[in-house]
Amino acid sequence: MPLIVRDHTWTQNQNTVYISVPLKGVKTANVHVICTDEYLKVSFPPFLFEIFLFGPINEEKSEARIGNGVAVFTLQKRTDELWEQLFTNIDKDKQKHIREQAILKVQEKEAEKSKAKATRIQQEKKYALETMMKLENEERDRIQKMKDEECAKATAQLDFWRETQRKAAEENENQQKLQRTGTNNNQLVYQKTERANATPAVTLLHNTGNTTSGQISRKQKPKDLPAPRSAGCIKISFTPRVFPTALRESHVPEEEEWLKKQAEARRAVDTDLAELSDLKEEERNPDWLKEKGDKLFMAGNYLAAVNAYNLAIKLNRKIPALFSNRAACHLKLRNLHKAIEDSSQALELLTPAVAANAPARLKAHVRRGTAFCELELYVEGLQDYQAALDIDPHNVALQADTDKIREIIQGTT
Amino acid sequence: MSSTLEKPQIIAHIQKSLNYTVFDSRWIPCSAKFVCMGNFARGTGVIQIYEIQQGELQLVKEIEKAKPIKCGTFGATSLQQRHLATGDFDGSLNVWNLEMPECPVYSVKAHKEIINSIDGVGGLGIGDGAPEIVTGSRDGTVKVWDSRQKDTPVVNMEPMEGETKRDCWTVAFGHAFNDQDRCVCAGYDNGDIKLFDLRNMSLRWETNIRNGVCSVEFDRKDINMNKLVATSLEGKFHVFDMRTQHPTNGFASVSEKAHKSTVWQVRHLPQNRDIFMTAGGAGNLHLWKYEYPAQRTKKDADNVDMGVAGSVNLLQNVTLSTQPISSLDWSPDKQGLCVCSSFDQSVRVLIVTKLNTV
Repeated sequence: MPLIVRDHTWTQNQNTVYISVPLKGVKTANVHVICTDEYLKVSFPPFLFEIFLFGPINEEKSEARIGNGVAVFTLQKRTDELWEQLFTNIDKDKQKHIREQAILKVQEKEAEKSKAKATRIQQEKKYALETMMKLENEERDRIQKMKDEECAKATAQLDFWRETQRKAAEENENQQKLQRTGTNNNQLVYQKTERANATPAVTLLHNTGNTTSGQISRKQKPKDLPAPRSAGCIKISFTPRVFPTALRESHVPEEEEWLKKQAEARRAVDTDLAELSDLKEEERNPDWLKEKGDKLFMAGNYLAAVNAYNLAIKLNRKIPALFSNRAACHLKLRNLHKAIEDSSQALELLTPAVAANAPARLKAHVRRGTAFCELELYVEGLQDYQAALDIDPHNVALQADTDKIREIIQGTT
Repeated sequence: MSSTLEKPQIIAHIQKSLNYTVFDSRWIPCSAKFVCMGNFARGTGVIQIYEIQQGELQLVKEIEKAKPIKCGTFGATSLQQRHLATGDFDGSLNVWNLEMPECPVYSVKAHKEIINSIDGVGGLGIGDGAPEIVTGSRDGTVKVWDSRQKDTPVVNMEPMEGETKRDCWTVAFGHAFNDQDRCVCAGYDNGDIKLFDLRNMSLRWETNIRNGVCSVEFDRKDINMNKLVATSLEGKFHVFDMRTQHPTNGFASVSEKAHKSTVWQVRHLPQNRDIFMTAGGAGNLHLWKYEYPAQRTKKDADNVDMGVAGSVNLLQNVTLSTQPISSLDWSPDKQGLCVCSSFDQSVRVLIVTKLNTV
């Protein structure tokens, strides 16, 4: 229960009432005032002062000064009259009613104030944003204006320069015209003295006029050009690479595969054969055997060459050259089926198809093609010759052979 | 803000959309006209002449030819005649008088395959010596022609017997400071750059920059060779200092990566040989300035002179289109005016400002 304060003092004049309420040591921050037109309540816990005013007052115009241990209220009366007393005596219900009204009113006022504050803040924010945008726009316009000015200036300069060029060109033309008319006049006089017939003279006149003016202009600007250079030829070579393709078009994965295969082939020497114990050291080397075979082939000893290649293949099944060369031997020996088998084997080993093994593939295709043709399987032969032609389109002999086979096929069908 | 506006600005002054693929565009010397060369969709070649009038391009003349035209130059003609030398897809070199284009002034079947690049020297009142045209072709050869000699080139740079040929993508003349000296620089698709000395008829220098060389240009054709810029695939370009050749290391160079795609062209400003513009495959242009080092030569371990490369600064860049800008040409008469064409079938006239204060 709050303590009711009754030791207030009051004075009045015609239009104002002054009420002074002692604060009894309570801090000004804790003082809470509710004031309506007929009611005033000051609560400063634990104290409470309330009063039902004698007459209505104008709450908006009234003011409260709270400080120095006392709260002074200056209330503006609605009607200018002297009050007999400060408060009216009204019954409890009415008191309650008035209190409630007072509280409601205060709440309303607070709500309104907060709403007003919110809208004010909103508007201020909007305004700030608009001014920011305006500033930025101005900045942008300024820059744009400067750019346009530059552009216009440059265009103006361009037009001016073009005008001067044109004027210079016109002057030049005029000068040339003058020259031409000058020479024309000379020619006219000359021609008239020479011939009586005017018409051909006029046409001749124009031609000679032009050529002489041309000659004159050439004479005016003589240029001693040096003679054309004596023909020279510079041979160039391109940067070597392991594979002659540029980085951007390299078939690197395929080429790597081919290299790996070659490396493996070198290493895959199958030494697990019983007959090897009979052989000499050098005869176990597939390369040496291949060379031996090649020499025997050159000498014409095809059977011996085949033997050499057989042994080499037994040692190392992965070298395509051995199969290819053995196929050539079989071709010479007219073992056509064996030749076909061997060149097929060689071609299998020569995958992937890269530029590095093109010549080897070419040879294998040609040998197989020949074998097919000898067996009169011309269609298969043509296929192989065509493949060989794909590898080397510029080989004249190949082209001739392909055409011959084609003719034979067309002849027999 | 003001410092950014003090940099040179690249302003797209006029843009014109064409109805054919344009490969090359060149200013006609001493005029406000330029030519565009390309090919129509029907497979024939076209040369169009445009004039700039009041902020618009007016078509002055259109010439149609049998074969598509890849490149052209005015470099080897006199200022009075202004004949255009073109290379076409068929390997023919033709020199046209644009006033009477029905019949070429000089014509020769220069190469077996398309002429990728052409350059001319000795004309336009610049430099001394005989006017010559050099062409580089997909057949791997580089040939120098003189219009007074029919049918055979005056110099032929071809691969040796049995050598696999590489496409030549670009050629440029340089070092033509008197009437005997001349050099031709050629760039190939495997990254080779070769410098040929025409006075000694020999290969003077070669190097390989690993990526195909799209464009080479000397900073000036008619002086003792000073700098060479070579642009390549994958966004790199190299600036070589050509004043000092070391016996083993060749020329010093600085390289820069820009554009994030192929750098299609480089062109030096005719009025200032240290400023050049590169055109990229993403439709962008970069304007660069080369700064010389404090000392252009230094001695190496064996007391032999070697060159020192400087540095390159980016002045400005702009993106004009989404397709590569295939050709670029500065006007020799007006500083900052240039024409560029790109593969989106359009040609643009650009103005680059503030080049005199850079």
